[in-house]
Amino acid sequence: MSAAGANGGRVERLFWGVGSAVVVIYALLPVAWIVSLSLKRSADLGDNRFLPRVVSLEHYATVFRDPQFSAALWNSIGIAAISTLAAVLLGAFTAYAVVRLEFPGRRLILAGALAIAMFPPISIVGPLFNTWRTLGLYDTWAGLILPYMTFTLPLAIWTLAAFFREVPWDLDKAARVDGATAFQAFVHVIAPLAAPGVFSAAILVFMFAWNDFLFAASLTSTDQARTVPAAIAFFTGSSRFEQPTGSVAAASVLVTVPVIIVVLLFQRRIVAGLTAGAVKG
Amino acid sequence: MSDIELRNLSKRFDGTTAVKHASFSIHDGEFFILVGPSGCGKSTLLNMIVGLEDASEGEIRVDGERVNDLDPKDRNMAMVFQSYAIYPHMTVRENMAFPLKLARLPKQEIDSRVAKAAGILELGDLLDRKPGALSGGQRQRVAMGRAIVREPRVFLLDEPLSNLDAKLRVQMRTEIARLQRRLGTTTVYVTHDQTEAMTLGDRVAVLRRGEVLQIGTPRQLYEQPENLFVAGFIGSPAMNFLPARFNAGRLELPVGSLELARDLRAAVAASEGPLVAGFRPDHLRAVGDRAQADLCFAARADVVEWLGADVFAYFDVTLEGFEAVALPEDLDIEAGRQGRSSLVARIDPAAGLKEGDTLDLGVDAAQVQVFEAGSGRNLSLSGRLDQA
Ligand SMILES: Nc1ncnc2c1ncn2[C@@H]1O[C@H](COP(=O)(O)OP(=O)(O)OP(=O)(O)O)[C@@H](O)[C@H]1O
Ligand SMILES: [Mg+2]
Repeated sequence: MSAAGANGGRVERLFWGVGSAVVVIYALLPVAWIVSLSLKRSADLGDNRFLPRVVSLEHYATVFRDPQFSAALWNSIGIAAISTLAAVLLGAFTAYAVVRLEFPGRRLILAGALAIAMFPPISIVGPLFNTWRTLGLYDTWAGLILPYMTFTLPLAIWTLAAFFREVPWDLDKAARVDGATAFQAFVHVIAPLAAPGVFSAAILVFMFAWNDFLFAASLTSTDQARTVPAAIAFFTGSSRFEQPTGSVAAASVLVTVPVIIVVLLFQRRIVAGLTAGAVKG
Repeated sequence: MSDIELRNLSKRFDGTTAVKHASFSIHDGEFFILVGPSGCGKSTLLNMIVGLEDASEGEIRVDGERVNDLDPKDRNMAMVFQSYAIYPHMTVRENMAFPLKLARLPKQEIDSRVAKAAGILELGDLLDRKPGALSGGQRQRVAMGRAIVREPRVFLLDEPLSNLDAKLRVQMRTEIARLQRRLGTTTVYVTHDQTEAMTLGDRVAVLRRGEVLQIGTPRQLYEQPENLFVAGFIGSPAMNFLPARFNAGRLELPVGSLELARDLRAAVAASEGPLVAGFRPDHLRAVGDRAQADLCFAARADVVEWLGADVFAYFDVTLEGFEAVALPEDLDIEAGRQGRSSLVARIDPAAGLKEGDTLDLGVDAAQVQVFEAGSGRNLSLSGRLDQA
């Protein structure tokens, strides 16, 4: 029986191992392709080889020499960071209220938020373009931060509400009885427990703002507010007959790196089951 | 250490009244139990004492000082929650140190108090573990530890053992009792388990639907329940109930009749509506011949439960000519159906009783309590009180 168990264990491990490998390869193949492209010499771009014949950093050098790119990178970082901060902060307040307080229209807020998330962004880009021009928000950071917040707040509210619901609120009471003020109870007990939710929401919002092309391309026109995804589209080759493939690949790799860093940084904090053991199992 | 006094304390949630006009005192150093069926307002009462719920009406006084408007953090009471509510992101040590840190005690003092509490509760080896890596009983002890390090005026415990398995529950029960004796801190303990209430409490308050029905020592509740609910709720197995009527100085039961004492006769004659007779399983005994008890009858044992030291036998009796007793639903006692009722007796295991055996059973008049079915009032008690 133990032999059968060990055998079953091996088959199971094999199954999961092969399954994970397939998924990882499927997801990472395009990324590997882009990395490879970015490292090829311009002359080798069309050689149909998966691995570069000679590794060269010339495209990265080109990208960094381009003042457009560094401006765009700065815009991207600033705009995504501010949108994330604002959306998570507002979302946390809303989610807290929706979960903890009894007030009329609680459900309406959640349903309304969901409705906004369903709204196709493309349908408002046109009107937004005109409105922003009138209001002077066109080609400014605020002009992008506002729509990013609008479209990510529902996401933030729903994610945070789901996490807040899981927080055992007896802990809040316990802290109050232990001698904490409402604020101390929040800081020492509730906030650490809700942190994984906050980080999850932050990552989702950050990725939306970071990767957005639609608003960035339509609502900006200069280095003032243009973000990286839009800027990449405006890359030019070194001559007008040359496709900027290598530079685009290098820029894409460069903008993916911060996202990977952010996710890896926060991933450790999003440990499911952090609350395990607070209350009976 | 402190005494607590509740004056006309009520709590209304919209629609329901969770606690109705509770007025009683808990003495300094006492182990006081609040017991009652689910939803009777025990937790609400406790939460009002500790300050997590505002009272709708009435006063809470601790050492004579009104605390209604004090924040929980200023009441210096420690509470153990049913869910334990220990902080999952802190180690056992940090959990126990948390209230002391909030009180800004010097680090040395914190360390020594935590070490002392850990010693008492045998948590020494677990101090650096997170709650996720503890068993249920260990978590329970951490929750107790966090309460005792503070040396609070009052301990409040809300069903602290209900998440443990039966064996651990008995063990922790003894530990809590020992701990309370040792510390001498006024303790209010909530439970819905009457066994816990009887074994732990110096005094017990029985609550039902927000009302305090009776307060007394476990013995008083067992021997002199003031009403049908307390009589049925306290004691395991529950008291036997049979419908009864009063006729010419005698109490008639489906199994026979017995002579009532004179003062009880007066109380019963003055009562209204149908009567219920109650007697404990310990008082229903096997008799060798019919002269040995005031009321004797033969019955067949349906079910025999052998528990080692005790044997509980369930006898089936018919209710010829009587309506089945309507007992309060929240007692969860089967009072009888289709003209039959079941009686429990504690039998000596040496008798070797088997299922299906017929036995002569007897009960003495002094052990039979008579209740007014409508109001639930215990008439025997008023009879005895008049006598006193
Ligand atoms: N926040 C609340 N809002 C409305 N009703 C409430 C609230 N809290 C408690 N109640 C009601 O008050 C009554 C008493 O509740 P309480 O929690 O005190 O019962 P309990 O005796 O502790 O029961 P249990 O043994 O199940 O814990 C119940 O009927 C409950 O539904
Ligand atoms: Mg309760």
